[in-house]
Amino acid sequence: MSSSIITFIWYFGTALELAFVVCSLVRRSFLRYFFLNLYFLSALSSSVARDFALSQFGVNSHEYRYTYFYTDALLTLALYVALISLYAHVFGELRFGRYIRLTAVLLLLGTALFSYGVVAQSTERLSTNFAYVLSQNLYFVGLVLTYILWGAVLKLRESRTRIVQFVLSLGLYFSAYAASYALVNLASKSAEMYILAPVLGCFLPLSWTFTMWRHTDDSRLVPARLLAVAR
Amino acid sequence: MSRKLGALALALGILVCSMGLKTVLSSNNHSNGAVVIANGPEPWPGGSPAPSKP
Repeated sequence: MSSSIITFIWYFGTALELAFVVCSLVRRSFLRYFFLNLYFLSALSSSVARDFALSQFGVNSHEYRYTYFYTDALLTLALYVALISLYAHVFGELRFGRYIRLTAVLLLLGTALFSYGVVAQSTERLSTNFAYVLSQNLYFVGLVLTYILWGAVLKLRESRTRIVQFVLSLGLYFSAYAASYALVNLASKSAEMYILAPVLGCFLPLSWTFTMWRHTDDSRLVPARLLAVAR
Repeated sequence: MSRKLGALALALGILVCSMGLKTVLSSNNHSNGAVVIANGPEPWPGGSPAPSKP
């Protein structure tokens, strides 16, 4: 039963990733949000690679495991670049583009050096462990960066609906994984993640596709209203 | 020059915050030390990429 559910979630999530790229093309926003599209195109490519490894070797094989975590490292890198592109959108009018790029490169280099330092003592499977640790560390860097960006969106009173909802979705996506991680720790087992991880993987393409389809670049909202508490 | 130093300080600060958060979360992990991350809806193979030795 769980196998068919996981397969359904997989195909549904892949369809959503494709839908975002198609929506961007239809809405003529492909180049404007190029790095978001690049992330989903990378996700589609990795889906093909993972599908091949899964069909050839099975979900418990070392080959699928390596394919999964290597492509995951590449996707985390692509998501990092997409997040930096959202920074460029938010801070674009302030002419901070050069310093954002510089900080992003320094942060990526620092994360890579830190990750290398962590795995340097392990001579066995150095490249695999490096890719995995770099991916983990970039995930946490992305989590912190997203919350900083959300603070900037509120402080700068960013009103473009697409940008606001992209950032919010990304924050929820990262937070959901952190919450699921805590849940797994509480349960002392990772069986739930076999269903939960693919479901969470569908959230980002679903919310971003909805945003891309529902709103245009001219749509505006007031982010402060999102924080307003009804009295 | 000062802005470049500011960018470097900001990058270091974010890195320290991120790794601190990771350490806090990882310290409570009593399974295998692996932090669950995933991109995409594909079936999760579980654990870390390093396979157990035969």
